[in-house]
Amino acid sequence: CTDDLDTEPKVELTLEQILEDDPNAIEGIVSRLYASFALSGPNGPGSSDISDDPGESPFLRGIINLQDFTADGMKNRWGDDGLDQLTTTSDWDANNKFFRYLYNRAYYTIPQCNNLISILNTSTDIPDAAEALSEARFLRSLAYFYLIDTFGKGVLATEENLGQTDPLPEATRRQLFDYVESELLEIQPTMAPNNGYGRANKFTAAMLLAKLYMNAEVYIGESRYDAAVTYLNQVIDEGGYRLADNFLENFSGDNDRSPEIIFPLLADAVNSQSFGNTTYIVNGNLSSDTMTLSDFGAAEGWQGHRATEAWYGLFGDLSTSTDTRAELFWTDGHNYTMTDYKEWTDGYPSIKFRNTDFFNPTNLTTSFSSTDFPLYRLADANLMYAECAIRGAAGADLSKARDLVNDVRERANASTITISELTLDFIIDERARELNLEGHRRTDLIRFGRFTGGSYVWPWKGNVQNGASIPEYYNLFPIPEQAISANPNLEQNTGY
Amino acid sequence: TVTEEGSSFPLPGVNVIIKGSTKGTATDFDGNYQLQVTNGDILVFSYVGYVTKEITYSNENTLNVVLAEDAAQLDEVVLIGYGSVKKSDATGSVSLVTTKDFNKGNIVSTDQLLNGKVGGLRITNSGGQPDSALNIRIRGGSSLSGRNDPLIVIDGVPLSNINPAGVSNPLSLVNPNDVESFSVLKDASATAIYGSRASNGVIIITTKKGTSGAPQFNFSTDMSINKAKDGLDMFESNEYVRFIQEYHPELANKLGVTLGSVQTNEAISQIIQVTNSDGDLESRAIYNTDWRDNVLRTAFTSNTNFSSRAYLFNALPFRASVGYTNAEGVVKTDDYERVTASLNLSPKFFDDKLKVTTNAKVTYADKNAADVGGALGGSLVFDPTKPVYNTASDNRFGGYYFNTNVDGNNLILDGQYNPLALLEQRDRPERTTRFLGNLELDYAFDFLPGLRAVVNLGLDASKSDKTERFYDNAAATYRFNSENTDINNNFVFNPGVNYRENQTLTNTTLDAFAQYTKSYNDTFVSKFDAQLGYSYQNFKNDGNSEQYRYNEITGLREVNENPANLNNRYYNEMNLQSFFGRANVDLLDRYLFTFSLRADASSLFVADDPWDSNAWGFFPAAAFAWKIKSENFMKNANFVNDLKLRIGWGKTGQQDITAAVGYYPNTPLFVAGSNSSQYIPGAGLYSALPFNPDLTWEKTTTYNLGIDFSFFKNNFISGSFDIYQKFTDDLLARVTVPPGQGFSDTFVKNVGEIEGKGFEVNLNMNAYQTEDWNISLNGNVGYVYNEVTDIGGQANINRGGSLRGTGSFLLSDVVGEQAQSAYVFKQVYDTNGNPIPGAFVDLNGDNIINDNDRYYAQIAPNWTYGFGLNVSYKKWDLSSGFVGQVGGNLYNFNKLNYGFTDAVVPANNNSITNALNFYDGAANPAFETVNGNIQFSDYFLEDATFLRCNNIVLGYTFDNMIKNGNVRMYGAVSNPFIITDYSGLDPENPGGIERDFYPRPTTFTLGVNFDF
Repeated sequence: CTDDLDTEPKVELTLEQILEDDPNAIEGIVSRLYASFALSGPNGPGSSDISDDPGESPFLRGIINLQDFTADGMKNRWGDDGLDQLTTTSDWDANNKFFRYLYNRAYYTIPQCNNLISILNTSTDIPDAAEALSEARFLRSLAYFYLIDTFGKGVLATEENLGQTDPLPEATRRQLFDYVESELLEIQPTMAPNNGYGRANKFTAAMLLAKLYMNAEVYIGESRYDAAVTYLNQVIDEGGYRLADNFLENFSGDNDRSPEIIFPLLADAVNSQSFGNTTYIVNGNLSSDTMTLSDFGAAEGWQGHRATEAWYGLFGDLSTSTDTRAELFWTDGHNYTMTDYKEWTDGYPSIKFRNTDFFNPTNLTTSFSSTDFPLYRLADANLMYAECAIRGAAGADLSKARDLVNDVRERANASTITISELTLDFIIDERARELNLEGHRRTDLIRFGRFTGGSYVWPWKGNVQNGASIPEYYNLFPIPEQAISANPNLEQNTGY
Repeated sequence: TVTEEGSSFPLPGVNVIIKGSTKGTATDFDGNYQLQVTNGDILVFSYVGYVTKEITYSNENTLNVVLAEDAAQLDEVVLIGYGSVKKSDATGSVSLVTTKDFNKGNIVSTDQLLNGKVGGLRITNSGGQPDSALNIRIRGGSSLSGRNDPLIVIDGVPLSNINPAGVSNPLSLVNPNDVESFSVLKDASATAIYGSRASNGVIIITTKKGTSGAPQFNFSTDMSINKAKDGLDMFESNEYVRFIQEYHPELANKLGVTLGSVQTNEAISQIIQVTNSDGDLESRAIYNTDWRDNVLRTAFTSNTNFSSRAYLFNALPFRASVGYTNAEGVVKTDDYERVTASLNLSPKFFDDKLKVTTNAKVTYADKNAADVGGALGGSLVFDPTKPVYNTASDNRFGGYYFNTNVDGNNLILDGQYNPLALLEQRDRPERTTRFLGNLELDYAFDFLPGLRAVVNLGLDASKSDKTERFYDNAAATYRFNSENTDINNNFVFNPGVNYRENQTLTNTTLDAFAQYTKSYNDTFVSKFDAQLGYSYQNFKNDGNSEQYRYNEITGLREVNENPANLNNRYYNEMNLQSFFGRANVDLLDRYLFTFSLRADASSLFVADDPWDSNAWGFFPAAAFAWKIKSENFMKNANFVNDLKLRIGWGKTGQQDITAAVGYYPNTPLFVAGSNSSQYIPGAGLYSALPFNPDLTWEKTTTYNLGIDFSFFKNNFISGSFDIYQKFTDDLLARVTVPPGQGFSDTFVKNVGEIEGKGFEVNLNMNAYQTEDWNISLNGNVGYVYNEVTDIGGQANINRGGSLRGTGSFLLSDVVGEQAQSAYVFKQVYDTNGNPIPGAFVDLNGDNIINDNDRYYAQIAPNWTYGFGLNVSYKKWDLSSGFVGQVGGNLYNFNKLNYGFTDAVVPANNNSITNALNFYDGAANPAFETVNGNIQFSDYFLEDATFLRCNNIVLGYTFDNMIKNGNVRMYGAVSNPFIITDYSGLDPENPGGIERDFYPRPTTFTLGVNFDF
């Protein structure tokens, strides 16, 4: 009778059961690791892997909130407590739930990766284990990259200390950097050059390495642009990617057809639903108040985000600009100047992302987006290469840099530039024109020394309409209160 | 009729025999009896706890008898775990509530009988729904992430914590008319024998049994009318127009409807001229709609019961009953119907050595789970200038008015759904059939007198099904066919089934114990009894659902097949096993000792090995009672009828964390992703679930000191007083996992401690008694203070309560405060006493207003009380009951949510919404927005002190209206008034935040009761 105390689940499964029942079980676990950057939970958009709100907390939504709304080009108007402080780069504190969301998602993904790595290290008879292992290690590195970039430290949870309950010691930014670097250097050479759409490969890992090296001066105080060029060359010369003919191919419902995307975060209106993937970007920039939702394939407009003149101002007069990227702002019924960031009609919504197909537009409107998020794409690599060249990286060539930049500009029907026009000031602006709302902007501004202080201001920086200086410690976010309370080894970032 | 002297309430189960014969009967539950007698016979009326009375019969047709309570004996029997004890011998803190004490009036569910009757017991429902969810707390509860509900045992069958699908209140599945008594076990010495599930107290419910004697029948029926009290002071139409024109003139073109665009019988209250978005002048028709009136109704409730008791074949005590209840909620379409049947047989065999008791109760409940939350919420916000109906030929939505908008090729719904349509366009029957039964065999052995063995088998099984169905043209099923671009016919409706769920609950119980009892005469030890036993409980919840979704292209509903779990099954099983022993020793018939020990194992703590040490908890208890009245020195204290001192200590356990972390919390498992949570095409998604291999029992230690007393003639004052302290350690709480060290950010852990203390007083007073008059009073007061003393070093534990926007929470647990306190800022007021929005007191004086200036305010009240008055005069009887609380806070969310002037502004649509009336003080126009910290102001947290009149009942008994029986007629009013300063809808709300509250109606009842 006491055997009855050992009750057995019938819906949830043990590892042995899924390995036995499903030949693709390992792929299913790998799939979940990728998914943790886009989806909120295992049971549809209302479920959450963590205790935070399924709608607000997904990883990608956090990347947009923390990288784009804190920066110059995009603002949100909802006035939600926490989001408001991001949008106005003011009153940041450790209780702001939006910091917690990204932190929790990163530290959700990492142990899930550790678990699979541990399974693959100990089971010998799993087919294709090597590829799954390097994917898991890549995804873990990607999660750590965001911790390095946004919070500047953390703990180093690996398969070695999986299951340990005593709080881990704090790991410095350099320790995390060194770990991610060594992981990527180890797996990158052996990864497949093409692993199927949506999955990490050799060049995805090269791109992450390049991002790490590009920002090494910020992260560890060392210039590593030379190393960045090595990996950018791999991506640009060997990756087989090419710029899509039309900019919008990268941001439409069928962008899985774009030859430019190196690493997307997938979305599907039916099978991969989330309030935190591109649904957040597409619906967030729409409102039936001033726009027709169905023109963008959306069934809902959330009336939230608008670009600022710090973005669209870079195109000059939008009505006369030949740059196709200048057309991707909705101006009808909206004011150029964001006098009140909470007023929907102040500022122009960005219509760069949309849910309609590029090649075969239909009348289809869906509540969720089917547009994949291009986390890494070739145009970014081109501009990164050019930046390295300007910064004097060994192995980088200025005329190649000019050509790569002009490829990007010509595709957008913008005027070409000469080598002498290729300056850091030009690059940071071109990155805005090309890459805003793609989750890179805050990192870029910090690398250019423009995020904190008062030398560069933008609308509502420091909670002032025309922008104000913000303190230098805002280059890092505060460690969430919840994390410090759960692990006393963690120390708050200076200033908070 | 046999009635009680103090209260004049009828006494059931009184033995009536003819002296010197075996002829006799017993009174039914309304105190009536029937017996064939001859002149000169002496009738003996006896009943435990009452003075036996002998009356010589002299040709009366009816013989009414009043029995006086025998204070010296007080031999009421209270149930304790696995047995019963005379109240006078009870060593633990146990309150007994029997038929005579029950609340009367419109009683639909069993808990309503008990509300306000026991000190330290707080019963709150979630609102005025016939089947509203129940919140019962004995001494405030003792856990954080575990359950705080007491264990409920019905006729020896412990109920599961899981309700059948579609049943919100488990006690609505027992017919209140079948209930005989409640024993409320409050301290650990009383509850420890129930060990595993007893940390929050135990409520033992017994139902009525058959008796020997002549057959008796009872038929009762009542009818009630229910009406909701006034709602919130929202704008009515004309004021709303004025408000929009004054505060938001740019929105005036959204008021009402374009003149002539709507066809309805409703009267246009005014026509206004506005400039529309094209800059043209437009006439708008303003209607005057009270949306609350439109979703509410005057509701009718009826209860009809028939029962009989008999002594079948002169050998088989038998009771059977049937009952039918039809209860309408005050929200339209919120209907509840219930049929109950019960059977009790209690034969004896082998010269009465084997006593068999069997109970079977079958209940069928059928309710329409209307979207009451949506309708009540919608009735607050929906624009009062819009009509309810629109029968124009171009209206697609079944004649109901809806806001619409043209977007591209689609005529889309805009803003809130018409709240009346929410109720009337959908049907969601939820049907449950439940069987609750037990078979108890109690055998007394020959070879050792005093030794008996008891086996009790229990089964609580239910089957439920839910079906959600939409009618034609229901707005909720309105979709577009994306292949059709013609705005006039590119839409589809999807009437029919939208959701189905089936569920089976199977809960089995087996208790077996042996008990040895021995009494001694004239020795130091006057009585000794010992008990050893084993208990097995298994709870199984197995169900599945059929889910649908809308095709993104055609707009048609289709079955949503989940390849990972084809029929969306859920399956949970929990198993509990225990060994227990108890010994009672009475010394000199004055000093009573009880010792008990129970060892419990829970499947929640078993990974593989059932003998794992984490799985088992050991729960000892000891108690001592001193019958002071029996001491020689009290012999002359005649004014003292009874005096007893009780001291108890014990440990109890808590393991039910299933609500927080499911049924397999210590095992590494994976869950498959549903079909809308897939990622890489072609690979089913699997996530590792969080677990904690170290989980074990949470333990609560209770110390209790109590006195039972009765003083003066006729028990002028009697009652009890209990004071206690309790300590919970190894507290099961959902806490934050160190980052990166678990498969989620939070999980349950044994961490922390709670300390509780309090006292309770129960008092009864027989105030005035004469031949015709009887006036008695009863009352109780409970004080409880539970403080969190340790949460494992964390700053606080989030306990939810999100306000505007998700992810920010009002409630948390923090060391030094009561569990689940509100974390708020102190509001600053101007010289006129009006709040200054966003201005808070700088509590720590650092000139910065931030989280460090917040403080914790309690939600749960410290003081609760109940009292009642019973008066009888000749054949008239009048009774009343009151309940209340002092202290405690309730967050008035509606004051926040509808109390700022921008609340009417459309968020992400084009429809304006209603707000609280800013012109008559219902809301303060100083609040333009409530973003940021304004929502955490203590301005919205209000004192929830209240006094509620539960019921007033007036009855009259006709004892010669029918032959050989009597008839009682009564009228009752339930919830006629409440006294409170709380400005929202209803201060009695255990959740701490008042939102779309279902109004508790005022009910008028007329009833008649026949005994024959």
